[in-house]
Amino acid sequence: MEKPADLPFNPKSPTLMHLDLNSCFATIEQQANPLIRGKPVAVAAYTSPNGCIVAPSVEAKRLGVKVGMRVKDGRMLCPDLVVVSPDPNKYRAVHLQLKQLLGSYTDKITPKSIDEFVLDLEGAPAFRLGMRELGREIKRRIREEIGDWLTVSVGIGPNRFLAKTAAGLKKPDGLEQIDNTNYLQVYTGLALTDLAGIKLNNTVRLNNLGIFTVMDFYLADIPVLKAAFASVLGYYWYLRLHGFEVDDAVFARKSYGNSFSLPRPFSSLEELSPILQKLVEKMGFRMRRAGYRARGVHVGVLYRDWGHWHRGHVQPEVVFDSRDIYKAALRILSGSPYRKPVHTLAVSCFDLVAGAHLQTTLLDDIAKKDNLVRVLDAVNERWGNFVITPAHMLAIPGRYVPDRVAFGGIKELEEIVLGSG
Amino acid sequence: MIQKLQVPVSVVSNFDHRRRTVAPVRVVFDGIPYFVRRIGFHHTYRRGRTLFHVFSVASDTLSFRLVLDTDNLFWSLEEISDGEAG
Repeated sequence: MEKPADLPFNPKSPTLMHLDLNSCFATIEQQANPLIRGKPVAVAAYTSPNGCIVAPSVEAKRLGVKVGMRVKDGRMLCPDLVVVSPDPNKYRAVHLQLKQLLGSYTDKITPKSIDEFVLDLEGAPAFRLGMRELGREIKRRIREEIGDWLTVSVGIGPNRFLAKTAAGLKKPDGLEQIDNTNYLQVYTGLALTDLAGIKLNNTVRLNNLGIFTVMDFYLADIPVLKAAFASVLGYYWYLRLHGFEVDDAVFARKSYGNSFSLPRPFSSLEELSPILQKLVEKMGFRMRRAGYRARGVHVGVLYRDWGHWHRGHVQPEVVFDSRDIYKAALRILSGSPYRKPVHTLAVSCFDLVAGAHLQTTLLDDIAKKDNLVRVLDAVNERWGNFVITPAHMLAIPGRYVPDRVAFGGIKELEEIVLGSG
Repeated sequence: MIQKLQVPVSVVSNFDHRRRTVAPVRVVFDGIPYFVRRIGFHHTYRRGRTLFHVFSVASDTLSFRLVLDTDNLFWSLEEISDGEAG
């Protein structure tokens, strides 16, 4: 097939490197415990039979264990599966060590998630070593300086998207490059769903316009792609596949939220409200520590029959005190028309306001409240979260709403840095 | 099998001034001494302002999660594992 002679593939040297720590959580657990290395391991939110597997090891993946499976299903596939509880502090420590190591090559590092980094080496002295050689050196240093069981897949490309795609070509422990000399060969070997950002819905959109392969996707004209995505996204895809950068934007944080999957099927407001309060306490502390207040409060509920309900309200005044956020959230939750068993409860604050300026009101002594909240946060920061808690929260076991590392989100990573000081 | 615990434990540790490393070398658990053969991972975390050092170590037969509270320099054993499925 001939490419229309409009925009050639970007001829620039590939300077972007994507690093992906293979089977991150499970590999780190194997690093920590040498006795489970080489064995099928699954990190699960809960180790009970109904617990959800969040990270299978390379060995477990080979036996068919997948993310999202129940522990009991994983054990059916693999009776020798070693199931481990998550240890967020350990994963954050590895993340910070990786970031420090990669920082010796360039200051242009973007953490994409807890286990993924993008390095832009354009203009960096390390670039002279050659991207592939650099990839090999980074792999070696990770094994020597962080953990001998840790492996990363390294992808090199002229833009972030192709670097990530290259990192996914060979797992685990891969080192692949996509550039203007081999992109056609790589595209020919990929399915549409192998591309990051193309899953079932986007595949259907593309199929509807006669695009069935990555080569079709690459060769498609801009108007066709714009029609497929019904937006400017089609143009962005055109640029991505031609090796041009469109993914270097940094988006501001828009909300803070916490959620919890309930171990028991609570349904009444009396049972749910202490959990809601703990979620609000955690979220409020994180939001204030980052220097934000919020105008909006949102509550989402996923029921055990997989139905869901959610509602968000903009408050008359900016809220920052967890007690006020809780009152608003409880009011929203009590407006739910359903009283059926809850699977997951989520609360978030949106419409964030940065900075310390407070709008005073006639009805409330805002400055006094602000001082009190600052003192409470300082005490909790000094002695550990929840050393001062609302009495209502004592109604739930301490193990509820545990510490977790978010998947995929990069905003939480700002908090890793905040919390490591 | 992995067993979660929260018990004080006797630990002999070694500071190597040349390599500038500190690591547990012997653990006495349930009256039985275990020699540390491998340090799997070392990391730290804070609860409040208190810094904890976590050493994930292994003897020939068992692995241990040893935690040093830097406020009182007491060691505790938080996890023990034989590496088999539970």
